[in-house]
Amino acid sequence: MIRTSWIASSALLLALTAGGAQAADGRTLYVENCAACHRPNGVGVPGAFPTLVGSKVVTGDPKATSRIVLEGRGGMPAFQGEMDDDEVAAALTYVRGSWGNKAKPVQTADVGAVRGKARREDARASLQAH
Amino acid sequence: MTAGLEGSPPGLSRRRFLESLGGMGGSALLLGGMSALGLGIESATAGPPALSGGGGRKIVILGAGVAGLTAAYELSRAGYDVTVLEARSFAGGRCQTARKGFTLTELGGETQTCDFDDGHYINHGPWRIPYHHHSTLHYTKEFNIPLEVFVNDNDASYVMYGKGKGPLAGKPLRKGQVAADIRGGAAEVLAKSVKQGALDQSMSAEDRERFLAYLVNEGYLDSDLAYRGTDGRGYDVLPGAGVSPGPGKASTPYAFQDVLNSGAWKTVRSVAGFEQQRTMFQPVGGMDQIAKGFEAKVGNLIRYSTVVKTLRQSDKGVEITYAGPDGQTGKLKADYCLCTIPLSVLRQMDIQASKPFKAAIGAVSYALVGKIGLQMKRRFWEEDHSIYGGHVYFDDPEILTMTLPSTGWQGRKGVIQGYYQFGAQAAKVSALSPAERQALASRAGDRVFPGYSDNIESSFSAAWHRIEHNLGGWAQWSDEARVSAYPVLCEPDGRLYLAGEHLSYLTGWQAGGIESAWQQITKLHARIQAEGGKA
Repeated sequence: MIRTSWIASSALLLALTAGGAQAADGRTLYVENCAACHRPNGVGVPGAFPTLVGSKVVTGDPKATSRIVLEGRGGMPAFQGEMDDDEVAAALTYVRGSWGNKAKPVQTADVGAVRGKARREDARASLQAH
Repeated sequence: MTAGLEGSPPGLSRRRFLESLGGMGGSALLLGGMSALGLGIESATAGPPALSGGGGRKIVILGAGVAGLTAAYELSRAGYDVTVLEARSFAGGRCQTARKGFTLTELGGETQTCDFDDGHYINHGPWRIPYHHHSTLHYTKEFNIPLEVFVNDNDASYVMYGKGKGPLAGKPLRKGQVAADIRGGAAEVLAKSVKQGALDQSMSAEDRERFLAYLVNEGYLDSDLAYRGTDGRGYDVLPGAGVSPGPGKASTPYAFQDVLNSGAWKTVRSVAGFEQQRTMFQPVGGMDQIAKGFEAKVGNLIRYSTVVKTLRQSDKGVEITYAGPDGQTGKLKADYCLCTIPLSVLRQMDIQASKPFKAAIGAVSYALVGKIGLQMKRRFWEEDHSIYGGHVYFDDPEILTMTLPSTGWQGRKGVIQGYYQFGAQAAKVSALSPAERQALASRAGDRVFPGYSDNIESSFSAAWHRIEHNLGGWAQWSDEARVSAYPVLCEPDGRLYLAGEHLSYLTGWQAGGIESAWQQITKLHARIQAEGGKA
């Protein structure tokens, strides 16, 4: 099978509005990358995609949460090739401060601290799969 | 450019050098020969196990996908009393074809109803059968399902590398022209280096001559070892009758440096990947003909629209509760259960299994996959570009491939598969509405084929991670989980056996599901025979 490193950072194309609040950027990142499964209001789909509202996984240790976004888990893809540390921090900060969640922001350094320790195999990034 | 062999150690003996050069080809040849003898690494089992003497023992099969259907067909023929519970109103699992009237509502999404013209379809699930998937081909033959060739490689099709550099970046290039020019250019560089003495220390004069002959042949080099193009890359004026066009006008190769910079050569390799054979098949009329072939044999054993709620087991048997089509809860007892439900779904269900077994179910991830079918008013790729089937390779990770239909040649309309993306990109695209997905695909198509978007009449898209009862395209095992979890799930847990593509090394292929079913029912049958086979 042909394996190429095509995982390009299209997330970088997202315009970061000058001087815009991190929360606004985080919301855009969330809507584009996460909302398909976790839904725009974070409630997920019962039996399929976990809710992010009141989730201890979401509101717990910033590094542990960051690791899930970077590496993926279960049916969730790894975003380490898609989002840089700033973007992961912004998206997570949005999630941790929305829909009644009240956890402290995730810092870029929190994400950086766990990046590079990723273990999970990448999604099959090939010209084609099956 | 200078010779590119700085990496070969000066002291390397001639024989070792040739051996190391030859190693890959040598082993590939050897494997090819082994496969011809039935000893190879391709889908390993050519036929189902010959089972008999089921003695009416009750087997409940969860899921009427290709694995469940295979098990139902073979076990019922062997005399078992088989019941299949299927959550959907139709059989096939991921083996689906969207044609006029087919509906899909992704979790949290709007309902799409396919509105293609009669005779047109998109295989939004499995869509290709490599010639070495003997198990899938066993059933297409057994059920008399007509096949047609799926064009999986087409030199006339385009490569579109927007992220490359230089004058060729972002231009649709014919794949055959890229191949001719990058390989011709590489052969020229290497041949001239050999001629200049780069290998004088490591190769005998005789070997150098043979090697040069190979390079001339490989790259279509002239006698002065220069590459100046070759007829296989096409003509500016096609040859024809009489004096004009007569011999036609040869095409001019792209500059080697430009092709290198474009990155388009990433689509060109010595041989197709094992799973990406140039010769593939598809059932005439849609992949779901395979599901229908099974259904004709075992449809009477399937309870449709029946969603499994719980699984309990004891040393006496298994008990399944389910919600039937009328919403009523039901109960079913059997001696054994073969569960083909994807692990992405099973992990969230209420099943009785040992702790290590459950942990193993949770250790796999599932691929996020998205596809879209676009019905086109006119087959412009054939009429205007002379491209009959194959893929356009596009380096936008939200697109990756546009695939031209390998059916309905020279007809009026056709359905193009407009994208096939994975992972995080599939997550992103799946957040779009069906109309926005069509817009994404049409923007990309316009960069390759002028007028692409104007030709789109309707579309149908699927994001498998958002489809109920699947929650993913296929299982993706990490190397670690292959060692720790996978073997656990290949063995039964009490009276519960699992089967499916997820329990194979052919993940994502129907052959994986079929061969997993064959393997598991063989184990189950042996156990029942050992128990005395009594009902």
